[in-house]
Amino acid sequence: MRKKERRNKGGIKLSITPLAAQSSAMVSLHLVPRLIALLLLLPGRIRSSSPVFNSLLSDLQGDPELEERCRDLLRDFGRRYESYVKCAVPSARPVRICENCHIQFEMLRVVYNNISSDQADPENCRDSLLRADRLMLVYMLFQNLEDVWDVAHCSRGYHGLSNITLRYMAKLNQSLSCFESQKNNHSELCRVCRADYKDLNEFYSIMEKNQTLCIDIEDSMNATRRLWSKDFNCSFPREETVPVIAVSSFMLFLPIIFYLSSFLHSEQKKRRLIHPKRAKSNNSLMNIQDKHS
Amino acid sequence: MANITKKVSWSSRGDEPAPAGEGTPLLNGAGGAARSYSRQFSGSGIFQIGRLSTVDLEEDPAPEEESAISRPKEIPHNEKLLSLKYESLDYDNSENQLFLEEERRMSYMGFRCLEISRWVVCALIGILTGLIACFIDIVVENLAGLKYKVIKENIEKFTEAGGLSISLILWAFLNSVIVMMGAIIVAFFEPIAAGSGIPQIKCYLNGVKIPRVVRLKTLVVKVCGVICSVAGGLAVGKEGPMIHSGAVVAAGVSQGRSTSLKKDFKIFEYFRRDTEKRDFVSAGAAAGVSAAFGAPVGGVLFSLEEGASFWNQMLTWRIFFASMISTFTLNFFLSIYHNKTGELSNPGLINFGRFDSDSVEYNLYEIPLFICMGALGGLLGALFNVLNYWLTIFRIRYIHRPCLQVMEAMLVAAVTATVSFAMIYFSDDCQPLGEDQAENYPLQLFCADGEYNSMATAFFNTPERSVRSLFHNPPGSYNPPTLGVFTLTYFFLACWTYGLTVSAGVFIPSLLIGAAWGRLFGIMLAHITPYGSIWADPGKYALIGAAAQLGGIVRMTLSLTVILVEATGNVTYGFPIMLVLMTAKIVGDYFVEGLYDIHIKLQSVPFLHWEAPATSHALTAREVMSSPVTCFNRVEKVGTIVDVLSNTSTNHNGFPVVTRVMDDDEPGKICGLILRSQLIVLLKHKVFVERTRSRLNQRKLQLKDFRDAYPRFPPIQSIHVSQDERECMMDLTEFMNPTPYTVTQETSLPRVFKLFRALGLRHLVVVDSENRVVGLVTRKDLARYHLGKHGLEELQLAQT
Repeated sequence: MRKKERRNKGGIKLSITPLAAQSSAMVSLHLVPRLIALLLLLPGRIRSSSPVFNSLLSDLQGDPELEERCRDLLRDFGRRYESYVKCAVPSARPVRICENCHIQFEMLRVVYNNISSDQADPENCRDSLLRADRLMLVYMLFQNLEDVWDVAHCSRGYHGLSNITLRYMAKLNQSLSCFESQKNNHSELCRVCRADYKDLNEFYSIMEKNQTLCIDIEDSMNATRRLWSKDFNCSFPREETVPVIAVSSFMLFLPIIFYLSSFLHSEQKKRRLIHPKRAKSNNSLMNIQDKHS
Repeated sequence: MANITKKVSWSSRGDEPAPAGEGTPLLNGAGGAARSYSRQFSGSGIFQIGRLSTVDLEEDPAPEEESAISRPKEIPHNEKLLSLKYESLDYDNSENQLFLEEERRMSYMGFRCLEISRWVVCALIGILTGLIACFIDIVVENLAGLKYKVIKENIEKFTEAGGLSISLILWAFLNSVIVMMGAIIVAFFEPIAAGSGIPQIKCYLNGVKIPRVVRLKTLVVKVCGVICSVAGGLAVGKEGPMIHSGAVVAAGVSQGRSTSLKKDFKIFEYFRRDTEKRDFVSAGAAAGVSAAFGAPVGGVLFSLEEGASFWNQMLTWRIFFASMISTFTLNFFLSIYHNKTGELSNPGLINFGRFDSDSVEYNLYEIPLFICMGALGGLLGALFNVLNYWLTIFRIRYIHRPCLQVMEAMLVAAVTATVSFAMIYFSDDCQPLGEDQAENYPLQLFCADGEYNSMATAFFNTPERSVRSLFHNPPGSYNPPTLGVFTLTYFFLACWTYGLTVSAGVFIPSLLIGAAWGRLFGIMLAHITPYGSIWADPGKYALIGAAAQLGGIVRMTLSLTVILVEATGNVTYGFPIMLVLMTAKIVGDYFVEGLYDIHIKLQSVPFLHWEAPATSHALTAREVMSSPVTCFNRVEKVGTIVDVLSNTSTNHNGFPVVTRVMDDDEPGKICGLILRSQLIVLLKHKVFVERTRSRLNQRKLQLKDFRDAYPRFPPIQSIHVSQDERECMMDLTEFMNPTPYTVTQETSLPRVFKLFRALGLRHLVVVDSENRVVGLVTRKDLARYHLGKHGLEELQLAQT
């Protein structure tokens, strides 16, 4: 369910490109294909008589229809894709993808935009790279990365390190260094670092409200909170059990008194029965008349 | 038995002022009953019934031996009684000469206009019902939001500083105060607005006129009351009251005036009679359902199922129109409120949310599981009903004073808050706060930072939001122990709450209980089956559980299936839901009736079920009927009429008009039937034979004069008839219904019953072979027979 939503979100956000691509994909399945198929298959047919199948594929790679310009774009896309993935995978845990890789992603986006905006002549690179076949590999690859970027909310926090993010970082570091200094004595840590941690927590709540959170910040905060609550055990203890139980049982006692007292003191409501006059089954008409008189 | 007389002595003093003060004993008193007690009884036991306020009842001399027989016996309230308070509706049209004249005068265009105005009325009903639903929704949301915000802040403050018991007291206090307001207006101003209102509407559609049930005051009290009780945190929903509100709106709009506000818009005058009004009320109930659940078809089917005793097929389309309009209005105004003007896809008040197509899949092998859940729902529903039955009897017998009722409601509110707080406090179930999970008021309490207390999603929320989160929160949002404890607690809370003197429905609490154990069931399945997690989606089982529980409690069939299908926006589940509801009904009916039927019985309403009792063919009209009958002559002396009408012991409502009552009291031949209301209007306008002769230019009485007096005909006491006038004569020929339905004495009970059900009759005259009136059958004569454990049982009539 969740997966689906994400995909949907991505679809809306990328409004121009995917829609165009999808529609063209539809088209390519139905109308355009004849022409393209003919163009692709004609040489294939001719060569299909050749005994070595491998050569057929290698020959197609040198498809004369793919212009050099497009080939360059594709190569460029490949390089930048590689560098982005190389950056992203090591940043998966702990999540630092937005912070570390936003430059690479920007570059990837630029080249993709170049491809998708190239639509000058009929033999343009957009059509030949993005929508020439059923798979639409370039489009799919980029789409997936963009989905990831979108789900991570990276665009919120790291479009240039914003002021808020920097302030958050400062507070985080302050708390963490405090944790570091008091590492050995947990109870002491809870007391000393509470102010710092509380400050950080409140600042985070504000950011949460303003929707300026990206996955990096969320993750770092989660980790800090886990440290605080689980590892150092600084959550609020449940220590007022007795008063709560006392008040609760008092409250629960009230209805019992109420019902008992109303049972004992309230008068029971009685219903007055009424005997309707009826002709009994064995009563003849004469009987009815007798009674009526 | 020996102590009955003793009890009589004190209870007659304590209880009497209440019923006597309820209004005119004449009109609200004995319904269509035209039971005639011979004159010899007047002055003795039966006569005293009318004068309930007399304290010296017991001191009345009762010399005749007959009085010993007829002395009122007093028994504690139970379900086997029929109250005299309720009357039938006059569904049957009186085709008297005035009516024929009016019909003759009416042009073709007139009929077309009438038809169009019916549609206009339905549109108005839909719009107003939708607006009311919208109003309730918004006010509840804001009020509850405010309350929860205050408490949440308080809890957060005290979690840190200590002193959580103060938060507990604050919560209980806020709940009690809000509920107190709701209970006060209900208990002191309009007790009929208590409860969900569905039993009352069911009775009305069945043809019973429940006093004050469709008045404007009831509507106001109902709406304010339901806002208070939902915002006050009781285990209640606002859907039942919505149906009642729709019905009141319909009854009000179709009349084109408000008797309470004394304002007459001079429109829709034609609709001022019971026939038309009841048809519109069924449209209003449908519009109410439709607004409450976003289920227009379900609404129509609800009206059909609950009120189909006499149903006009033409009506269906019109009712559907009203339902659709109501959903549309609600959606439109809610879209404005949510700043998405024009987005009409927002469903009704209770939004079950959409089930995604991934999770709706179900397989053949799940069907037996669903049926098991249905059976479980039936069992739990029966348990709920039995507990509520005993509680209601206790309430009727002992907690009948308004101030006690208010206190009880406050206590329930406080205890609800306390129990909820204790549950949340002692719960160890912490769940991470999801991003897309819209928890409105997440409570952290002792959970780790970034997590919230999962018990609080269920308790610290309005019930319908809890239902939604049970349906849709991803697997793993709730731990099994949390759900188990929640089900148990909420079951008893809801059972305790229903029947309080607040306006509140039972739909949502039932759904909530069911959703909780259904989800628990789903989680268990996922645990015990190897590949369980693939198909045992907890949300799906929550829905099935909710259906089972609701079906087990209210025992509605067709309409409930459609309502649930529509409310979830998912036809795929139609089959499982139907199966589940069927099983729940079969299992539940084995033990006890549905909740609404129980409450109808406890209110001693003469309710006609779908069929006559199975073993009643041996009973004939002669045994069923009331006899002898008070009849009038075609031309009757005014004094006689006034005497009969003002005789408080015989609150008859219909009088056969006979050719001539001889002095030896041999019954005369029937030639018509006249109603009390008609006689009162005639007396008021002094339509006497002598006057007509003396003043020829006097305006002729029209049907309009009868309609103007509708629906609150003045009591006979308010009409002054001088000594001279008593000697005048009144010609009833023109006004009586010349062709009343009659049956012979040998007609069997089921036959008579069918006539009543199908035609919506109020009086059925029993005649002998020579067309002489020998008895009269009314609704109460039929409703008193019912099939008990020991064969056919007879209910007793009682003054309530």
